[in-house]
This record gives sequence, structure tokens and C-alpha cells, in this order.
Amino acid sequence: MSKVWTALRERMEERTLDNGLRVCYLPKEGFGKTFAILAANFGSVDASFTIDGQRHETPAGVAHFLEHKMFEDEDGNALQKFARTGASPNAFTSHTMTAYHFSCTERFEENLEILLKFVFTPYFTEENVAKERGIIGQEIGMMDDTPGWQVFCGLLGGLYRNHPVRVPIAGSVDSIAQITPEVLYTCHRAFYSPKNMVLVVCGTADFDEVCRMAAQFSPAEAAEIGERHYGSRREAVSELTVTRRMPVSRPQFLLGFKDVPCAPGESHLRRGLLGELSLRILCGDTSPLYAELYAKRLIGRDFDTDYMIFPEGAAAVLGGESRDPEAAREAIEREVARLAREGVGQALFGRMKKALYGLRLRVFDVPEAYARQQATALFAGEDYADFAALFDTIGADDVQAVYARWAQRDRSCMSAVLPQ
Amino acid sequence: MQQVTRKKLAEGVHLTYVTTPKFKRAVVRVALLLPLGGPDAALRACLPHVLRRGTKRLPDLRAIGEALDDLYGARIEAIVRREGEHLAVGFLSDCIDESCAPGADGLTAGVIRLLAELLCDPYTQEGVFCPDYTAGERENLIDRIAAQKNDPRVWAPLRLTQLMCADEAYGQPVHGTKEQAEKVTERKLYAAYQRALDEAQLELFYCGPLAPDTVEGLFMDTPLAQPRPKALPLPPAVVLAQPKGTAREVVEEEPVTQGKLSLGFRTGGASLTGGDAAAYWVFQTLYGGSTSSKLFLHVREQKSLCYYASAQFIAPKGIMMVNSGIENRDFAAARDEILRQLDECREGHIGDDEMDAARKALATNWGAMLDDPLTLERYWLGQAAAGTMVAPEERIAQAGAVSRERVVAAAQATTLDMVYFMKGAAG
Repeated sequence: MSKVWTALRERMEERTLDNGLRVCYLPKEGFGKTFAILAANFGSVDASFTIDGQRHETPAGVAHFLEHKMFEDEDGNALQKFARTGASPNAFTSHTMTAYHFSCTERFEENLEILLKFVFTPYFTEENVAKERGIIGQEIGMMDDTPGWQVFCGLLGGLYRNHPVRVPIAGSVDSIAQITPEVLYTCHRAFYSPKNMVLVVCGTADFDEVCRMAAQFSPAEAAEIGERHYGSRREAVSELTVTRRMPVSRPQFLLGFKDVPCAPGESHLRRGLLGELSLRILCGDTSPLYAELYAKRLIGRDFDTDYMIFPEGAAAVLGGESRDPEAAREAIEREVARLAREGVGQALFGRMKKALYGLRLRVFDVPEAYARQQATALFAGEDYADFAALFDTIGADDVQAVYARWAQRDRSCMSAVLPQ
Repeated sequence: MQQVTRKKLAEGVHLTYVTTPKFKRAVVRVALLLPLGGPDAALRACLPHVLRRGTKRLPDLRAIGEALDDLYGARIEAIVRREGEHLAVGFLSDCIDESCAPGADGLTAGVIRLLAELLCDPYTQEGVFCPDYTAGERENLIDRIAAQKNDPRVWAPLRLTQLMCADEAYGQPVHGTKEQAEKVTERKLYAAYQRALDEAQLELFYCGPLAPDTVEGLFMDTPLAQPRPKALPLPPAVVLAQPKGTAREVVEEEPVTQGKLSLGFRTGGASLTGGDAAAYWVFQTLYGGSTSSKLFLHVREQKSLCYYASAQFIAPKGIMMVNSGIENRDFAAARDEILRQLDECREGHIGDDEMDAARKALATNWGAMLDDPLTLERYWLGQAAAGTMVAPEERIAQAGAVSRERVVAAAQATTLDMVYFMKGAAG
């Protein structure tokens, strides 16, 4: 299937293979680099699942551990194979996705073959799993010393009482000690099924050849996908405030508003736009409140906002360094209440929408970001470039309804890291 | 080859432009190039942040925010950057290309005018900067100086360069010192601003689809193109081929759990403007610049001595660094293994596959740069500060022609100057 967005000057080819693998090509004329990402709809939140009638409660950090281990094959390490072609490979695990990717300026098809082969070929031994524990243990130690990450983990722990999003993506030294080759094989079988994965290529490639290779190097049959369990939900946050002391020079904070999960059939892309627009109007770096808080030094240039969507959950997140996180929180919450009550004026709404359109448009210039956004959109059955059309469906009253949800009692949590 | 043009617009004012239709955005930068360090260091680091607060026409952040939204979410960030032994202060902007949105005609012109206003037409009170803005940004600067230690992964290499190059301009703090920052006043800052405008070379940059003549015209219509007859020439960076004495070792304790080990080397003179830089890039890449490098394979993968270990060639200054994150107990073992891998290079134990992988990794990295306007901006400012004009495509060709003998020579010319170990003293 081909799709064209004339106004955006973008086009796309998309096909679902017989085994269920979705393949998508986003051409980038004039770019020397081609980026490919093979992603599984499997992240750190998918730790509890049922497959073949059996329930599995896997140790925290297993999706990330699996990502590390996938690079190793019986005939060597995929990183070294990429080194021979000059490609730049990497991988990441988020709350909702595990993705393997490379970028290259030549020998694209050779690289694609390496990528497809290693991701679909699990190879775990007691010895290579034990060795990886040491490396990941180091990574966990590094994250323990990273204030920005600690403040983020603290926030998710405060927003959710049961949801697995509250568990750090890499797990802990204790939890990864319980990971065995058998656990890794089970997860691979449950979630690395072609019908639970997408391949997105952004740059210059022959789409038919990409599809042919994807069919050749992925399993012919799609295994059943594990059924996931996320625990019970409630609307209120778990903790109103979470604090931790670390060797930082200034306090850092993140304020989170727990939003309602996407309803079945609701567009994730539209929800994401609505969330981002609401955050931008509330305290984006060109908003009136931002100017006020910046002048009072309650926030700085590092202040940032994000809207997160994951299974059975969604949250708005804002924060950065502050001389007084409590005062910043109070001002932001007061503004949420005011916007919920009074709504947003048309002039402000119009210019914020225009600005967000421009920011979203820039993603097309960054193959890594565009391909990742498209992979996320594909998992929700959507295409990233449709955002421009969805913009027209968002009005000031939609944004006001968002603030009304955020303004309810017990929907916000603040996580702060304070100097020792 | 990407079309890159450099043009002198006036005395002390240069414009570098990359003309390409492939992006949906344009990147524009205006920067003053000044010497690094000195008594004005903190004032200069504070300057673009105070300028970013308001102009005569748009006197506060709220007014600037509205203007940026109307320019389809154009972004303008203050920059304070080390470029070799120079300091670049100014503004970096990216905006969408005007052909991508309805009613966006003249958007690039609007961004360039706003940048010119920010630099040349600031909001003032009684002939100096606004005391409120100055006080706020002085405190922000003091915070920024203190915050450098927050992320150990960033702090360890910074601390290494401070210690290793203590007697050189390169070792001087980009943001100045806390003591200097505390003395910033609106009056002193305004005087420093006028000195900087007089003395600095102005470097302008544009990357986007507009034709060179059009871009030049947009800049010429602003005060940015005024001649700067008092602008000082940029002295070249001082490259020490060898350390002044024997290698030093410094251990400092910080309240973190994981240790950070950084090693600093002199390159024998290889730098952006001297020695065999192409060979040095290949050497640094196969030694520690990629996932097929000796450091990655031996120190991380085989011996599990660290989570990361990588080598970096700081070409503008002619030094190399190795940075790694380790457990405290592995300090000696990791240091020795890092140095042992350097010896392997010096002794010529470099396979054809390693040579090939390094050349290809460099070709991929430099090639990818051509697809990223923000990286191109950084690259061309580095070239301008060093007084050279070598395109990424030329670097790829040069690296492709480097022989093993030249790589071995680069490794042999490398001398350890300092070992810095940030010992984790928490828990």
C-alpha cells in the first residue's frame, strides 16, 4: 500500500507479510544515510503474561536483558558483523518497545540481513547470560548515579501503585540475578513473533527487496503472542510526593499528571497531540506561565515536558531544575485549575497549535526519530504523518477537557531529587 | 559534494552556508568568537542568556515566545561553547522551511531578523542591561557552574581536561569560575558586551533550501553585516606534541557509586591543522571509537571491566581522551588494560578487519553528518574557529587512504599525560 501526504511532501510504502510482520518504507530523497529499525511490541511493562496456558511472572529487567543478549549469535556477535560493513548499530528498550536498529551509508541490504537474522535467532547459554549480568549490573550502577533518571523512576513509582511502568526498565542487580536462558527463550517466543513486530526503513532502499528479505529472514509462521497482565487500575496516584537525596547542586523535579488510559479504538496519535498541546499551552517554553516561572527562577532552560502513553496508562510529565520544586508545583497546578475552569483563548490556542505543527514537522528530517515514531504509531495501527490531519480535529474545548481531568484531586505526583 | 560556501560579508563577519533542498527545516546560527578564559569569562558566559531575555521590540520572554510561536515554533537557544581554544557565544536557531506550511512565507527572514535583534538590539534600562534579567542569569550561571558535577559521566572528562591543560587556554572553564560569576553586574556585563561586539569575529551560518544570494541578502539587511574593524584575529590553538613531564595520576573522591576513569594523551601534534590527522582518526576509531574497537572488545566485552570505554580525538586541541565507567576495585586493572591495548596498536597488532572497520565507521559517521543540519552547524563552526575549510567528504576520502603504517605511527606518537580517577565514595 502506498500513501502520500502532499502538503507534507512525504510518502510511504507499507505491507504486511504473510507471517504478520509489518514492513514500512519512508523514502528520504537526498539523504546519504539509511536507517532501519526492527521493533517488538514488548517493553519493560510486559513482565507478566500467559502463553500456552501458563502464566509467567518474569524478573524485572528481562526485556532489557533480552535486548542485550540478542546481539550474540552462535557464530559470533552481530556488532562485529556490522563493524565489517561500517554500519552504526544500536538498540534500546523502553517501557513499551524493544528495538534494534542500524544506520549506514552503504551496503544496506547486507546490514538488513544481519539485523533480521540476529533478532529472529535467539542464542542464550548459562555462560553468556552470567557474563551479561556483570555488564548490565554496571549499567544499573551508572543509572543509580544519574539524577535525571532517578527523578523519573521516582515519579512513575509515585503515579502508579501496581502498574509495571513503576519498575525501572533495567530492573535491579537482584532481579537480573534471577534471569536464566530459559526465561529469555520464553520471552522471545512470547513476543518476538513476526506479527508482534514492525520493520521500518527510512532513507533510500528498494521496498520490494526489503519485503523479500524480511520474508526470507523471519519465521514463516507467526507464533501466538503472550497475553499480557498489568495488574489492577485506579484513578488516584499512589503517592503525592516522592523525594530522594543525591549529590546534586540544585533540586530537580518532575511533576506528573495521571491521565486516563486510551480507550479501546481511541487514536494514540491524536491523544499524543492533545497531550503535547495541553502541556505546551500550560507551561511550554513559549507560554505565559513559563515566562513567569523562569523570571522567578522556579524553572530554567532545561525545563521540559512530555506526554507518555502505554498500555492501560497515560501521563503528562513536566520538570527540570528548580530552586523550589514545591513552589513550581503549586504554580503549575494553580494554572491547570484555572485553565480547566476558564478554558484557553483562541489566540493562544491558535499560535500554540501552529508552533506544535512546526515542531512535529521537524521529525521528518531526522530518520532515527521519524522511524521510531512510525514504529510506535504502527503498533497502534496508525501512521505518524497523519498527525497533520488529526490536528484539525482538536479544538480548544478538547484541551480544556484535558485540564479538567488533570485538575481532579489526587491526580498529580511530584518526584524530586534534593541535594544531600 | 554538499554545496558549502564561505563568504566574507564585511570586515570581521563571515557567513558559511550549506545549500540543500532535502531538509524541511533551516538552521541558522550567529556566534561571536572570542578567546577562551580570561577575566571576562563569566561575563561572556552570562551574556547570551541575558540577551535572550528581551530586545527593544520584544522586552520579555513572553513577547519573544509569542514571536517564536508565530514563526511556526522556531527555536532559539543561547550557546556558550568551547571551540578549540576559542569561546563561541551567540544563538542557534532552527525553524521549518517556509515551503512546508501555509502562510509561512518570509519565515526565515523573520528568524534572521529576530536573531539580529537579540544580538544587536537588547532590552536595556538606563543604558545598561536590565538589573532583573542580569541578576537572574547571574544566579543561573552560578547554578550552571555548580551543576557541572551533577553527572559524573560528563564531569570526569571535563575535570581531566581542567587538570591536564591547567596551564593552557583549553583548560580554562568555559563558564568562568563561581567567584567571577558572583561579581557579574548589569553595568560590567554591558561593558563586556560592547567589548565582545568590538573584538569578536562574527560567524554566521545557514543550512537549508534557500539560494545563497537570498540568504546573503537576508543577513545583509540586518545589523549583523556591519563591518567590525576592531575585530581581533583568532590565534591558532596551542598544540603540545608531548606532555611537559612524566604522566600524572590524580584520584578524587565523589559521593557516587560508580567510579569514572579518564585518561588524557598528547597526540604527537596531530590536530585539525597539523600532523597526520587522518591517520589519527583511524587510530582513535580502531582503538576506542566504535563497537568493534579494541577498548570495546577487550576492556568491556572480554574482561567486563567497565560498562563503557571509548576514545575521543579532540582534534581542535590535539589531545586524545579515554573515558570509562568502572567499579572502584577495577581501577588498576582497567587502567592497565586500556594502556595495554594502546601498546597493541603501537606494536602494530592491528588486523586488516580492524583497519577496514575503522575506515568504514568514520565514513558512516561523517557521511551521516551530511544528513543532520545541527551537526553540520557544529562541524563548520569548528572549522571556522580553526581557520580551515575541510568538508566531511574530504575527511572520508583522507581516512580511506590511511595505511596501517600511518596508524601505528599515530599510536607511537601518543603519550599518556594524565590519569584521572573519580573514585565512587557513596554506599
